Amino acid sequence: MTAHTPRILTDGETALFAAYDAAKPAGFETARDAAIEALRGSGLPTRRIEAFHYTDLRALLRGQYQIAERPGEDAAREIGARFPRLVEDAAVLHFRDGHYFDWGEELPAGVSVDAALPDLTDADDAVAQLNTAFATSGTTITIAQDAEVERTVGIAHAHTGAENTIAAMRTTIVAEAGSNCRLIDRAVGPDEVLYLHSSVVDIQIGDKATVNYVLSIEEGDAAQRLAQLNVSIGAEATLNLFILNAGGKLVRQEINFDVVGENANLNISGVNLVGGDAHIDVTSSITHHVPHTNAEEIFRNVATERGNGVFQGQINVRQAAQLTDARMACNTLLLSDDCGFSAKPELEIFADDVQCAHGATVTDLEDSYMFYLMARGISENTARRMLIRAFVAEIVEELEDEALIEALENRIDIWMERHV
Amino acid sequence: MLEIKNLHVRIAEDETEIIKGLNLSVTAGEVAAIMGPNGSGKSTLSYVLSGKEDYEITEGSITYNGEDLLEMDVSERAAAGVFLAFQYPVEIPGVPTMTFLKEAMNAQRKQRGEDELTTPDFIKRVRAAAGDLKIDFNMLKRPVNVGFSGGEKKRAEILQMSLLEPKLCVLDETDSGLDIDALKVVSDGVNLLRDPNRAVIVITHYQRLLDHIVPDTVHVLSNGQIVKSGDKSLALELEEKGYADIIAAAA
Repeated sequence: MTAHTPRILTDGETALFAAYDAAKPAGFETARDAAIEALRGSGLPTRRIEAFHYTDLRALLRGQYQIAERPGEDAAREIGARFPRLVEDAAVLHFRDGHYFDWGEELPAGVSVDAALPDLTDADDAVAQLNTAFATSGTTITIAQDAEVERTVGIAHAHTGAENTIAAMRTTIVAEAGSNCRLIDRAVGPDEVLYLHSSVVDIQIGDKATVNYVLSIEEGDAAQRLAQLNVSIGAEATLNLFILNAGGKLVRQEINFDVVGENANLNISGVNLVGGDAHIDVTSSITHHVPHTNAEEIFRNVATERGNGVFQGQINVRQAAQLTDARMACNTLLLSDDCGFSAKPELEIFADDVQCAHGATVTDLEDSYMFYLMARGISENTARRMLIRAFVAEIVEELEDEALIEALENRIDIWMERHV
Repeated sequence: MLEIKNLHVRIAEDETEIIKGLNLSVTAGEVAAIMGPNGSGKSTLSYVLSGKEDYEITEGSITYNGEDLLEMDVSERAAAGVFLAFQYPVEIPGVPTMTFLKEAMNAQRKQRGEDELTTPDFIKRVRAAAGDLKIDFNMLKRPVNVGFSGGEKKRAEILQMSLLEPKLCVLDETDSGLDIDALKVVSDGVNLLRDPNRAVIVITHYQRLLDHIVPDTVHVLSNGQIVKSGDKSLALELEEKGYADIIAAAA
């Protein structure tokens, strides 16, 4: 005989469900209700669920939440001005507190935008369920077949600073066959404000299409971010994904890839900067469904102060996916006694003729480098920053766009000034 | 300029005593050679002068221009004009040589209360110094010392020395790994820096380097102490008789 004690909701859970009950967003009521019911049933994930082993959402997600209202025009523009663009001539879609603002940005030829919520369907994981329940705005961005889009398309979310609010958005990107584009997805917000930003981006990459995607996470230092990037990649298609984590108090960024076309290429790289009291989790899952596909994944992490970082990298090779070539590396600098970083690779391979490799390293800054730099008069702090910059620059500089590299390195420098 | 008194040094980790009551005085304008057999404490002395952390000073003092050198950290010593030319210069992947040189030069200028160098002025100085030392300017576009040959690394050390214009230069076996031509280039570079206001300590096993950089004084280091001092003829005597005889006679 088993006795079930009713689960006691945490304050965070209670607040989330109350926020939904008080003002559920318009549309897709069935899907939203189903998502919230599922969450009510299971509660937020705890460390007993393998995928959340290092990030106990139930314990970490605290706050009194309500759905963010659409901010006024002035506030919306003012917050944007505080965060200069990463790329000057990008065509940017603006989101504020989860709401879309159409400021008449001219779109490059071959790009069309539908500024309506994409279809919300029920989801089977907590991050997507929360997004389904709370998404107030969204867009579908379509890159037309064979379009060579030179101008960068930006998806910019800024939080204007309303305390204890949930800002949720859903984006669908369809890169049609043979197209080529670059997208920058960026999230910013003010420091010292607790807000929850939920973002789910679904990307479909058609055959022979190339998508260059930069995700720059620069949330405020008290912010919570629960986000997901779901990508399906067609035959002979390429995704180059770069992720910068340089903000947020609690970040759970899931990246899921379905490689569904032969000879598809997946290049994932990223820099995770974890300082202050931040908990930054990047959880990646790549599933190879078909033969002859390649995936390369490398993250460089810098943890300091009381920061706690997580990288989980799962590679699934289905039985049909012979000749898969998948490589994963995770290199971490641990710079303080109180910081931590957990790296977990997971390989699930059902095909017998594949190459899969994974490796993780953890080090402090090399003493002999520090001594050499300081022996030339360079102060200890400057020497540390030079070596950290060198450690992450190797990854950033593969982006091959000078202006973008400089802009991202500038974000990294700003982070170092505060935390190193 | 430099006054070392009764210096005792041990390795922090295993407490092995390396320097055992060393006394040495070097004046401005002087070129002092320190010679000695393997294991006599030559490299330890150079590291202690530059402030490396792996050593513990158990007794004695080092005074540099009237200041207690042992109170300063590595970068403070360097900024105050102490320069160590490494026996084994370190390769630092990812740090561009030019960025490194600029940071180093500006750190010293800051210490002296001067403005930072402008980029054109900086490049001009590096080009001129590289030319003197027959260093291909393109080499400096690489990360610090990465992919440099042994000789190139030593020349790069002297390049840094001439750009940083230190007051006290410590050359730790700068001749090791150099062919005869490179030895000449490096020695010429050092000789160019000889100055009445600058002292140079040349640490070496061999007389050969001292044919090119002619010392004012020669000191024999053995088992952590200076056992004999003299002028340049002492180096020749060492070359002829070997360390064993001289050390035995001094004892």
